[in-house]
Amino acid sequence: MREAVAGRYIGQRVRRVEDQRLLTGRGSFVADVEPEGTVHAAFVRSPFANANIVSIDHSVASRAKGVVAIYTGAEICLLTNPFIPFSNLPGQFTPPFWALAVDRVRFVGDPVAVVLAYSRALAEDAAELVEIEYQELTPVVSIDDALRTDSEPIWPAAGSNILYEAADQFGEVDEAFRKADRVFTETFTSHRLSNQPLETRGCVAEVDPESDEVVFHAATQAGHALRWTLAAVTARQSAVKSIRALAGNRGRLKAFARGAKAALAGTGDQLKKADSSGTIHQIRKDPRTLLYLGRSFLGTLSAERFPRVVAKDIGGGFGSKGPVSREDAVILAVAMELNRSVKWIEDRVENLTDGGQARDERLTISFAVQDDGTILGMKANLVMNQGAYPGVPFNCGLFSRIMKVMLPGTYRIDAFRLDTTVVASNKGRYIPYRGPWANETWARERMLDVVARELGMSATQLRLKNMYHPSELPAKMITGPTLDPTMTAATTLQRAIELAEPAAFAAKQEDARSRGRLLGIGFATYHEAAPGPPDYTDAVTPGVGALLAEKSEISLEADGTVTIRTQQMPHGQSHETTYAQVAADQLGVPMEQVRLVWGDTKNTPFGIMGTGGSRGGPIGGGAVQFSSRALRTKILDQAADLLEANVNDLEIVDGNIHVRGVPAKGKSFAEVAAAAASAGGGIGDEPAITAEFTYNGPPQGGWACATHVCWVEIDPDTGFVTIPRYLVVEDCGEMINPAIVEGQVRGGVAQGIGAVLYEKTNYDEFGNLQSSTYMDYLMPTAMEIPEIELHHLETPSEVEANYRGVGEGGAIGAPPALTNAIENALAHLGVRITEQHLPPHRILELTGVIKPNVASR
Amino acid sequence: MNSPSATATQSAMGSLHSPIDGTATIELEVNGVGVTRRVNARLSLADFLRERLDLTGTHLGCEHGVCGACTVVLNDEAVRSCLILAVQADGSRITTIEGLAETDHDGQIISIHPIQRAMQEAHGFQCAFCAPGFLMTALCFLERNPAPTRAQIREEISGNLCRCTGYQSIIAGVETAVEIMAADRREGAQDA
Repeated sequence: MREAVAGRYIGQRVRRVEDQRLLTGRGSFVADVEPEGTVHAAFVRSPFANANIVSIDHSVASRAKGVVAIYTGAEICLLTNPFIPFSNLPGQFTPPFWALAVDRVRFVGDPVAVVLAYSRALAEDAAELVEIEYQELTPVVSIDDALRTDSEPIWPAAGSNILYEAADQFGEVDEAFRKADRVFTETFTSHRLSNQPLETRGCVAEVDPESDEVVFHAATQAGHALRWTLAAVTARQSAVKSIRALAGNRGRLKAFARGAKAALAGTGDQLKKADSSGTIHQIRKDPRTLLYLGRSFLGTLSAERFPRVVAKDIGGGFGSKGPVSREDAVILAVAMELNRSVKWIEDRVENLTDGGQARDERLTISFAVQDDGTILGMKANLVMNQGAYPGVPFNCGLFSRIMKVMLPGTYRIDAFRLDTTVVASNKGRYIPYRGPWANETWARERMLDVVARELGMSATQLRLKNMYHPSELPAKMITGPTLDPTMTAATTLQRAIELAEPAAFAAKQEDARSRGRLLGIGFATYHEAAPGPPDYTDAVTPGVGALLAEKSEISLEADGTVTIRTQQMPHGQSHETTYAQVAADQLGVPMEQVRLVWGDTKNTPFGIMGTGGSRGGPIGGGAVQFSSRALRTKILDQAADLLEANVNDLEIVDGNIHVRGVPAKGKSFAEVAAAAASAGGGIGDEPAITAEFTYNGPPQGGWACATHVCWVEIDPDTGFVTIPRYLVVEDCGEMINPAIVEGQVRGGVAQGIGAVLYEKTNYDEFGNLQSSTYMDYLMPTAMEIPEIELHHLETPSEVEANYRGVGEGGAIGAPPALTNAIENALAHLGVRITEQHLPPHRILELTGVIKPNVASR
Repeated sequence: MNSPSATATQSAMGSLHSPIDGTATIELEVNGVGVTRRVNARLSLADFLRERLDLTGTHLGCEHGVCGACTVVLNDEAVRSCLILAVQADGSRITTIEGLAETDHDGQIISIHPIQRAMQEAHGFQCAFCAPGFLMTALCFLERNPAPTRAQIREEISGNLCRCTGYQSIIAGVETAVEIMAADRREGAQDA
């Protein structure tokens, strides 16, 4: 049950704590870090999509001004282990790969060598002097290239360019399709795009030549995952040496055992469900995997130097700073080899080339429906283009499983089949991007509009007819997860219809058409598992839930202030503000008294996820709430001793702990801290009282839901799409800080609009990247993004800490709402929208104003 | 992959330069303080501010003049410090994000600028990597046009990219700044 809280801060548009430094130029981003004696790195990158490296000559480059060292792939092999696949699904092959290309390059931008010099400019000068001879191979670029049986495998051990195939069936699919009055099928293609945080990637490996300490300063969304991955990759020594070192260092072994036990605490049941057949399959296909695994594991246990990851301010990520970069491993390895600090800050061209790209998926969807619009079944075929190198720790496999679970959406669909294929190609790395499963929503919501049009129904009526309504909950999605009463998608749709008045719009649209103007409206509804019910993670991939619990540590300091330690990695989500709001309300102190510590693996709790998956509010915020309550209990116990009062009679108001109604005789937090410290024999530097809480969401879970409505006007002569109005009705439960929620939603919508109308990571048929600057990769500006109206439905819940995720939803809802609106505007011209990228020239092609140019797609 | 490196060896403003080693001595005023430095002719103003003066509040987002994160004020004009060479700034007056707030001798902030206050009130930014550029851009155009319409604000900030916010909160922040600055001016007029 909910505990009543005075609630001074939660729900308020509290100003951001972060702004005090970020708006005055006093932030500390990774590019601002430069230890004494740092050398700077520049990477030499492949100009070819697919080629063998014949020879590398860096003799001239090595003599260039200011050059300290140059390392090629062959040399990196002696300093590192390859990246080894982390999450293997049954039947999946994930190639192990090295931090630098060794004998072959696999995409334009593949790092081949690293140059270290006294300045970045000198390193870049010398990088141009490295002579590399390549032997070009036939590039595999598109999904169709990769699926061709005669395409040469990019990873020979895989045997083909198909890395993963799966078939999942739920319910009686064939029967549903046999019984249905109508079957509709359409194939939807989404282009490749890029996360594009304004701060590029970068890192500084700070090496103290006098000690074993290595601090890896990074812009990362997941510091602990980065730390352990880097440790595994850079722990390059023979297994024999590792075993000898371990035998001589039992303290280390014990420390690891303790760490592993803590990391796995309470997750044993989850882990038992994990299926290890994927790893076995992997080892069979490429037996070297076993050698690399053993060497990395033993090396990690015994390496002399173990990196500590530190991140401070981070300039956005949107998923791109969660994966571990190969460059990170190169920089750490060469810094340890040279025994000096090394810095690498990526430039924008590199970021557009190798900073991670996303989407690039094809979904064929069939709906079996009755003439009245009742959906009987759904079939889908998904192909994902993973590019050349798999993401670490998570690759396409995991995201395909999320799509599997989410594809039926918020609708009553009792029969569902999905066929999944993941292919390799000579493109950049596929990484998660804000709602990595988003294309399931896009394709399904697009297809529902197609079905409605074919049936002559309104798209909103078709949705409402098939959607789970609150009175039908709880229910179970056919793919497994429980839909509890927080799944309010239908309520958001109904509210959106009231606000948008689609019937009135239809009359306006008709009138506009008669005068040559093209107006359209589009709806899209989705739910997101943030936090999601416990059976959600099991449905995605059994055992993965074990990785997701999150610990919050909290302490009352000797001076009476409160410190929260989190594994979250804020990079724009304002955790310092919202977590202080949550803790201050629990503890009854001004929020200025609460400080958040994050980003340093040395003094934050372990967690693999970092910040991602819209979990900062639901999981991280919940963990803070419950750890704060545990601390409050301890503080009150201590105060009861001091005040010689019954703990049940105490209250805390504005940081004053007193017997209810007798504030004059109260004790401050500092006084309680002093008493606790002296009782504990402390000397005042250590925290006086500590508490912690490990949390993985409420037992019932919870869903974030929204309906987006987009209006468009299309210029029939230029094909230019404008958005006169955009509306979001969302339900994320209780809002800790509405201004921060609104910023998250609007920012997500802006990225979704950019995806449809402007942004495209464009490769030509040879795998050459055509969009490596902001002149070609079009980022939306203030002129392109409309005002976005927001309506909040804060559905109350018996769930305590009823915070549901808002990080990703905006970017999930916008592409279907916008593409639906565009088709709606062009419907009378016979246009069907089956692709996601719709720049003006493509609109004109679809409307027949200009001839289609296939090469431009 | 490497960013285009500038090769100019001559300052547009005729500073002392050495054709032999490609360096030049420049004198300029940064945030009200006079500085003299010998610099490489190809050093950008952004790198000069960040690396030579340790003014790391100016951020580099794209290094090819599109994103606007590196915007600073040069003689009352908003410029992209990634596209200007340090030698071109010889003899100029530069204001960076660090120079917006009023500070004491130790650099401690006494009071923040109305634009900073407004952005905080409006929740203008999220990661705020782009914020310095937006603030310097806004500062300059509000000097020219202290009472802009929303459409004018939208257009004026459209040369700066923000990936987090969708811009609405930044526009609201500029509108709040207009109000605060107008109120300050009224107060100032009354005091006079």
